[in-house]
Parts: sequence; C-alpha cells; structure tokens
Amino acid sequence: MRRLVTKGLFDARWQVADYGLALFIMAVLDVSIWPSYKDSLAVIEIPEALEALLGTDLPISTGPGFLSAEYFSWIPVLLIVYAVVQGTGAVAGEESSGTIDVLLAQPITRTQVVLAKTVATVIGAVAIVAFGLLGFALTVPFIDIDVSVWDVFLACANMLPITLLFYALSLWLAAVAPTRAVAAGGAIAFVTATYFFNALGSTVDALSWLTYLSPFYYYGAGLPLVRGIDWSHVGLLLGVAAALFVWSVRTYEMRDVSIGGSGEFALRDLVRRLTMSRAG
Amino acid sequence: MTPAIEFSGVVKDYGRTRALAGIDLRVEPGRIFGFLGPNGAGKTTAIRILLDLIRPTAGQARVLGFDCQRQSMEVRRRVGYLPGDLRTYDSMRGDAFLDLIDSFRPEKRDPAYRHELCERLGLDVSRQIRALSRGNKQKLGIVQALMHRPDVLVLDEPTSGLDPLVQETFAALIEDVVARDGTVFFSSHVLSEVERLSQSVAIIRQGQIVAVEDIATLKSRSVHVMEVTFERLPPPGAFALPGVRELRRDGNTIRLQARDGIDALVKAVARFPVVDLRTEQPSLEDVFLAYYIEKRPPDEEERRFASA
Repeated sequence: MRRLVTKGLFDARWQVADYGLALFIMAVLDVSIWPSYKDSLAVIEIPEALEALLGTDLPISTGPGFLSAEYFSWIPVLLIVYAVVQGTGAVAGEESSGTIDVLLAQPITRTQVVLAKTVATVIGAVAIVAFGLLGFALTVPFIDIDVSVWDVFLACANMLPITLLFYALSLWLAAVAPTRAVAAGGAIAFVTATYFFNALGSTVDALSWLTYLSPFYYYGAGLPLVRGIDWSHVGLLLGVAAALFVWSVRTYEMRDVSIGGSGEFALRDLVRRLTMSRAG
Repeated sequence: MTPAIEFSGVVKDYGRTRALAGIDLRVEPGRIFGFLGPNGAGKTTAIRILLDLIRPTAGQARVLGFDCQRQSMEVRRRVGYLPGDLRTYDSMRGDAFLDLIDSFRPEKRDPAYRHELCERLGLDVSRQIRALSRGNKQKLGIVQALMHRPDVLVLDEPTSGLDPLVQETFAALIEDVVARDGTVFFSSHVLSEVERLSQSVAIIRQGQIVAVEDIATLKSRSVHVMEVTFERLPPPGAFALPGVRELRRDGNTIRLQARDGIDALVKAVARFPVVDLRTEQPSLEDVFLAYYIEKRPPDEEERRFASA
C-alpha cells in the first residue's frame, strides 16, 4: 500500500507544485503590498451589503482582516479544485482510464486503494498549504502587519478541513455517478452553489438560513486571524468529511467496477432507476 | 478434487441486458482451458466475476474452492490476471509498474523469474509504458500475470496484439504453468487458437455455455468450407449429400460446407469441370452452425464476426 501512496504523490507532484507556487506567491504579494495599501484602505468606507456579497464582512483596514479578505477567503477555492480533481480521480479516474482492472485484480481491497489515494491527497494538500505558509513565514516577521507566524499557521491549517470535506464529497459523487465528468461537474456545482449560499445568506436576512447549509460558513474566512478558530466548526467539517468518506468507501466496496471506464452501463442504470422511481 | 474454477448458475444482468444467463462450468486443475465465443458473448463478464470486479446477479463462482465474492482476497492471492483491454499507467516505466504489482504479494516476489519472463518474451522494461507498442504492452501484461507463479492463470484474449513468434513463446509459458500443476483459463474468439493452445474448451454464446468439449472431440467435429468455381453451374441439388451443405451460389461459384470428413464432398465436386477451388479455415461461426446451434440463425454480432 505504501507504493500506492507514493505513486499517488508522484502523479500529483506537478499539480502540488503549481498550486503550492500559486499560494506562495499570493502570500508573499499580499503581505508585501500591505504597507502601501494600509493608509488608503483606512479612509475607504465599503458599503456593508457590498462587503457581505464579496464575502468580506471583515475589518479589511487591519492586517488580519486584510489577509483574511485577500488570501484566506478565496485560496480555499483553489484547494477545493485540487480536492475535486483528486477525489473524482481516485477511483473513477482509474475506471475511466481502464487501469483499475489490473490494480483491483491484486490482493488488495478497494478500501485500501481509496485509503492510499486519500493519504496521498491529504499529504498533497498539506504540502500546498505549507508552500503558502512558507510565503508568510518569509514576509510576516519583517512587515508591520499585526499578525504573527503562529496566527497564519493556524489560519493556513484551518483551510484543510473544508478541503477534506470537498475531497470526500467528490469521492462520494464519483462513487455514485456514472462517469468522472458527471461527478466533477456535480462537485463544482455544489462548490459554487454553497459559496453563494454563504454570501447571499449573510447579505439577505430572509436567506440567512442558507448560510448554515454552506461549508464556507463553517470555514469562516476571517475567523482564525480575526476572531480565533471555532473548533466546533472545524469538528463539524471534519465529521461530515469523515462520514462522506466512509460512505464512499462502502459504495466502492459494493458496486461493480466499470469496464474501460465507459460508464455506459452505470449511466443506463442511473437513467433507468430515475425513470422507474418517477414512474413508480 | 476441488475444481480450479467453478461457475454455478451465474447470472449477470446490466439493467435489462442479460450478459450471462446462468452459466455452469467446471475447470479441473492442471489443465489449459479455452473459453471460446464471439465478441459480446459474455466471456469478459464471466472472467471479471472471478476477480470480483463485478458481482453476479445470481449464482456463485469459485476459484480453488474459494468464493469469488466473499473470499475474494484468497482468490486474488492465487490468481494471475490479464485483462482483455489491458491498460497500465502510461507514465510509469515497465519495471516500476512490475514493482508496483509485486508489492502486493511481497512473499511471492521472484526477481529472477520475472527477469526470465521478460527475456523470453523480449520485453524491454526500462522504457516508459507510453512508448511501448501494443504488442509490448501485452507482453508486460503477461509478465505481471505470470511473475508470482499463480496457481490459476486467468487471461482475457491473451494473444491479441502478439506476433506469431511471441505467440509461440506464450504457448510455452502457459505449458510451464500446467507443468507445475497450475491451471490456465483463457478466453478467445479464435477457434484455431483455442485448438492450438488448450486441452479443453467451453463455448459461450449469448451468455450461455453451449458446449464443453475436449479439444480432441472438437477437432473430430471438423468443418470444411470450400469455395468452388465451376466451368458451368451444376444443377440445383447437385450437392445435397449427407453432411454437406450448400451455403451460397454466386455466379458459377458455390460455397460449400462439409462436416464429418471431406471425402464425399470432394467426390461430388469432381463430377463437374472445376475452374478454381479454395478451402478455408472454418470460422468459429462455421463450427457453431454445423454442430451446436443448427436450429437457430446467428445473431447480428455473430454474422459480423463470421464474415470478419
């Protein structure tokens, strides 16, 4: 199984490097531009509604608020894209490419395969986040931004639970959807919808209940730097991720492995089930 | 003796499509067993059930007495498998891929034997898999299936993409498996290949086993196909002899099929002036038609297959 993890990491190496580099650059840039923006931001009054819609009900004229809005509110979306690619690729990707037959013909359980791929994905995600953290660690101590390296460490680590949640969701979608493309589309739709649920819910009072459906609410872009980490939210995200993960693994254990990855039978089955349930 | 492979009433449905309609089959250990049928007959479906890649709708499959679903790990420890449409990790080198497969059975690692297999097949494992030809990829598939000396070797269309010389080597390799009391179960849609390589054969058609025979019996059920061009067209009914069937007339050319010996046919043909004569290797479809499925016309896939 160790070899499968290594292989997963090796396959994702360029992806991890690319995302990592992006996070590193963004971290360095955001911290470096802070001194020149600090003064101009202090005099701007952003309307509350616009702030909320942008997802920043944050005190952006302070260092922690600025970093939360400029970095921690949207970098998770990048991480989530990585998670969706990995989650839908883990098994459905191998089905699509047809490599799964040889792999699963070996004395190794499907659970072990999913587990190995998950370990590789988590290591990759941690590495990406670490690149960003490195960017902060190299800049924060030298600039008067009112944030410690420890603060950014916590804020960076806080991006992982929501990443894992969307990874598990993608894994689950890929287990039930007929093809990898359908699963990825579904996952992206869910990310987009819940991102706006969160923004919309915090702007429109009547829709405030929507925020509670959104993982982004529980992630809370500004929380770690501005108000400290809410461990109950972290626990909730990780709990849902774990539940989805277990459900995915069970689904993979029980279903047929599609052949050559055409997904044709699965699609037909799905359509049949849908039409039958509608008819019945 | 525990059979090496046993299917008992195995049914597999994909939605409304019935891929396997309740197959029963017993493969004794220490034999080379051919699984013959046209494309789409259900060969791959049956094989993938053995590896627990798909689950039967009903019935049970066993390998060496182990249930293929409930005791799948026991089964897969003992089985070497070559998929019909082999896909491997293109970005890996051949040896890295073999290392990966080896890592799942560390106790059976045998680098010397693996090397020997590669040598015999003439496979260069230092190259990236992406750069390998179809035949070489197939060799890699054969090596990974054989290198841990499995008790049961399950091969789905193993010789596709192999040139004749390598097919010889392949035949020798599976003989070796049987020589150490292993069992070989392979599928094919080519009759002559099954005749050449195996000792017994099961013929599958539309998800049903239509015959299980020793190769010797199958061979005795010889079918000859002959296309004869005559100077003048013989009268209708000129070849209405026992064991002979007129398949088609096209101008002065008549396509004839004979079973149970060719003598009567040759003598019947010789009664008329012959311009040209061609004999053909009987296709699987010819054998089907002549012996197993006389009552029912072939379906579309089989017709396509027979004419290919």
